[in-house]
Amino acid sequence: MQRRPLVARHPSILIFLALLALFTLGVTLLSEAYGTGYLSTSFVKTLGKTLCLCLVAVAMDLVWGYAGILSLGHFAFFGLGGYMIGMWLMYERTRDIVAGSMAEAAIPPTEQEIVDAIGTQIFGVVGASEFPAIWAFADSLLLQLVLVVAVPGLLALVFGWLAFRSRVTGVYLSILTQAMTLALALYLFQNDSGLRGNNGLSGLQNIPGLTDVPQSHVSMWFLWASAAALALGYVLSAWIVSGKFGSVLRGIRDNEARVRFLGYPVEQYKLMIFTVTAMIAGIAGALYYPQAGIINPAEIAPIASIYLAVWVAIGGRGRLYGAVIGAAFVSLVSSWFTGGQAPDVNLGFYTISWVDWWLILLGLSFVAVTIFAPRGIGGLVDLIADARRPDRHGADLGPDQGALREKEADR
Amino acid sequence: MLRVLFASLAFLCLALTAPARAQDEGSIQPILQEQSELIQESSRRTIQPAIDAIAASGLSQAQTVLETWQAKDMWLRLTDGQYFRAERINRETYRLFDLDTGEDLGEFPADDLDQIKPNSGIRGLIAVALVQFQLSDPDPENRRAALQSLERDPNEDALAPLRNSIEGETDPDLLAKKQRLERLLTMAYDRDPEARIAAIEEMSEDTGVDVRATLNPILSTRLRVFNGAPPDSLNIARTLTPGSDALPRAEAYEMLVSAGDAPSRLGPDAIKDTLAQNITDGEVAGIQVHNLNTQETRRTAYDRLVADGIAPPVPTEAEVDATLAQYIFAEVYDEPNAAVTTAAQAALDSIATRVAVGQAVDLTLDALSLASIYFLAAIGLAITFGVMGVINMAHGEFIMMGAYTGYVVQQFVPGPTASILVAIPLAFAVTFGAGVAMERLVIRFLYNRPLETLLATFGISIALQQLAKNIFGTQARPLTSPDWLDGAWVLNDVVSISYIRIAIFALALIFLALFLYIMNRTRLGLETRAVTQNRRMAASMGINPDRVNMLTFGLGSGIAGIAGVAIGLWAKVTSELGQDYIVQSFMTVVVGGVGNIWGTLLGATMIGFLQKGIEWFNPSNTLAAQTYMIIFIIIFIQFRPRGIIALRGRAAGD
Repeated sequence: MQRRPLVARHPSILIFLALLALFTLGVTLLSEAYGTGYLSTSFVKTLGKTLCLCLVAVAMDLVWGYAGILSLGHFAFFGLGGYMIGMWLMYERTRDIVAGSMAEAAIPPTEQEIVDAIGTQIFGVVGASEFPAIWAFADSLLLQLVLVVAVPGLLALVFGWLAFRSRVTGVYLSILTQAMTLALALYLFQNDSGLRGNNGLSGLQNIPGLTDVPQSHVSMWFLWASAAALALGYVLSAWIVSGKFGSVLRGIRDNEARVRFLGYPVEQYKLMIFTVTAMIAGIAGALYYPQAGIINPAEIAPIASIYLAVWVAIGGRGRLYGAVIGAAFVSLVSSWFTGGQAPDVNLGFYTISWVDWWLILLGLSFVAVTIFAPRGIGGLVDLIADARRPDRHGADLGPDQGALREKEADR
Repeated sequence: MLRVLFASLAFLCLALTAPARAQDEGSIQPILQEQSELIQESSRRTIQPAIDAIAASGLSQAQTVLETWQAKDMWLRLTDGQYFRAERINRETYRLFDLDTGEDLGEFPADDLDQIKPNSGIRGLIAVALVQFQLSDPDPENRRAALQSLERDPNEDALAPLRNSIEGETDPDLLAKKQRLERLLTMAYDRDPEARIAAIEEMSEDTGVDVRATLNPILSTRLRVFNGAPPDSLNIARTLTPGSDALPRAEAYEMLVSAGDAPSRLGPDAIKDTLAQNITDGEVAGIQVHNLNTQETRRTAYDRLVADGIAPPVPTEAEVDATLAQYIFAEVYDEPNAAVTTAAQAALDSIATRVAVGQAVDLTLDALSLASIYFLAAIGLAITFGVMGVINMAHGEFIMMGAYTGYVVQQFVPGPTASILVAIPLAFAVTFGAGVAMERLVIRFLYNRPLETLLATFGISIALQQLAKNIFGTQARPLTSPDWLDGAWVLNDVVSISYIRIAIFALALIFLALFLYIMNRTRLGLETRAVTQNRRMAASMGINPDRVNMLTFGLGSGIAGIAGVAIGLWAKVTSELGQDYIVQSFMTVVVGGVGNIWGTLLGATMIGFLQKGIEWFNPSNTLAAQTYMIIFIIIFIQFRPRGIIALRGRAAGD
């Protein structure tokens, strides 16, 4: 049978790409660097960061919405990607500063002296001056870029192989991934972890070699890069879930034992999707943290990964655009509320200050979405589509515990 | 001026007649006159001989004089330079008493008198001197204070009075203390090496910190260099080879340099400085400055400077080795007697073994108490997650609610004991209510959908945490424990455990018994097991599954609340209290084996011992211990995916 091209099978890809292009163009025209200056540089950075969050949400949707693995570790992969690029940014930037100050000396410094001085500069805060072994490639952008993908990928591969091999599934797997995230965060919190303990890596917004370019331009370049990465990631994800591979993934989600009995190597499928999404998360992190300027172990804490699940759930899991909508909506609304921009509500006897009450609202709305609207915001799209479908009264698709209901499936 | 003149005059007169009178009448006054200059100078640095003279006089009134002096009650009569005890009558008049007899000498105008005002440093020195008198003081409290002061800073002079005071000691507790202190002082200060060695051997089975603190100074060493063999008169601890771990080569050479026995070996920095001083026209010895960016070119340039006679030559590595070979480096004991140091070393080694055993016991107790905390935090989960299969991420917040309930109760109920007794049932009630409400409002819609339950309860967890933050603020709230829980059960200086940890351990055992009783002996337990195994069948037998689920979930949450009170006593109460325990609690249940309380117990024990064990290897770093523990658990689950005690057959569910 002749297969139709990807975009024809999934018209939503074209719509999504068009909207993303429109958004990027709009931001560019309103930016300080290339347009009217209506949007401040810091807001452009916020939008750029949001695009990265959308990308990691797409990865989360692949692994949770399609393969049914509720990973509470994908934000750790995101953070690892950030650390990997952060190492290069910090090393090269410190090198520029150190070389500049040492050039004043009567005798020119040796290579070793420069490296020692960089070490003292970077690790002074944790009382060390030697470069740990993990910084071995920090002077090479290319190798660090490889590590952005390789480190999260390798960690996911090893962890996933161990977990899937011993048939850890469902909530047990979720708790195990959460434990992995906690272990990683606790490890990075140590001063002798080699990544500056809870100080983290800072000054990442200064790109080495681009010191003369104003931040307004740099922020736009990162926004374009983030948009491009999101577009590529979206298309890649759509391609992954569209073919036979995607069908098997959904089969695993709905009834893992049945797929195994049909002869599919379930563990390999799961390992594959787990590792690929970890790599995507790493790339998203590598684009996010230069815009945020600082990364520290608190970013990796288990709570962050759970928020990622919250975004995907609110946006609507099992559909890629749902993840994007969820991440963008919740993170932007979140920063609006916690940034103190939302007006306080005066009840007469008590004033609701949103800075304090936003998390409660988020938590409760999350409960409400889980119970009453499992399809999330993306489910609104189905209101149109559902009109043309037979009603099966929302019965479970499979006999297994936790099998998806009919209205959640077929996405 | 006049005063000094008078004083020295009086001193001169008296100094001539003093010796005879002192022996005859046993008066302290001549001694005071002898030391008058020092006493009036009243300086901490020079006063010691004066104090010693009084203390060593052997007179019975010496103690009174020292006490009078210390209390600033000693006055100098300017007319004749004599010292008296004075009592103030009014501003102008003082009543004087003889220091020897205590006789009332009548009133004197203040203008004729001068108060001796010892500063705090001098009073401290007097106190030390007084110790030997106070050791035999009739008041036991004074004796105790004197012993404590002597324990704080032991000195050689106190040894003889201490020995004399032992015989007349009536208080058995003080007697034991005195004997112990006498042994310690003998170890450190006795003139007779045999006596010291005997004392050291006697105390070599004692793990007390004070014994080790006495032994260590005996073994103090200094690193010294000898040209040729060290003299036999010195007590050598060990000889060191340069280049070994104990004595790095550079350090050994540096010792010779600072002793002036070897030429200095310039480091890279010093070479660099020398080069920088010799830059002429952008060149150093014919080498362009910009080429000096490697160590090799720098060395070449320096060698040329040496050849020109501008810079001092630097010894080569071979020369350094040759110099080092000429000398012998040795650690020399400050204590000259070899037999004493040998005995002290042997005693320390034997103590170290005992301390290690003690530490192992202590570590076991610590691990046990940590295990009981994990068990306490996890036992509620063992019901909701283990038996019912409901994954409740807000479980930690129930623990937090229990702890905050305890805090609120303490604000209203006076007295820690009463408030704890009120707080425990109240915490159970509050969290039971919260659990029931959560089950009714959220969880019952999500049975059979574990991932959704996880997410929904997580939403509740976020909301509850923020709510606690809004109500109680972000700062930690203290939960005061009753007096009878304060303090620790001290076995010796190494092994001790705080009562609160024992209480938590006991509470954990009580909960274990309670759980077993409820699950195996009550109707609720029977119905819970029935509903968990087969909900429809249970319903057919007339059990109301909704009610049973509600009650069971409430029970699990209520136990979490009580655990919260206990944990709140042990740690500070913050809104993040529960979050700290949730991952470990789930780990405990999963590692132990879901659905089996004995598994949870084993899981908690394993995690507790593991964490303490890892901490023992690297005591400074509890973060690393947690990291490695989690990694270990992840690997452990590879080998026993269903936990230590796995359910088999139909009960295993899927």
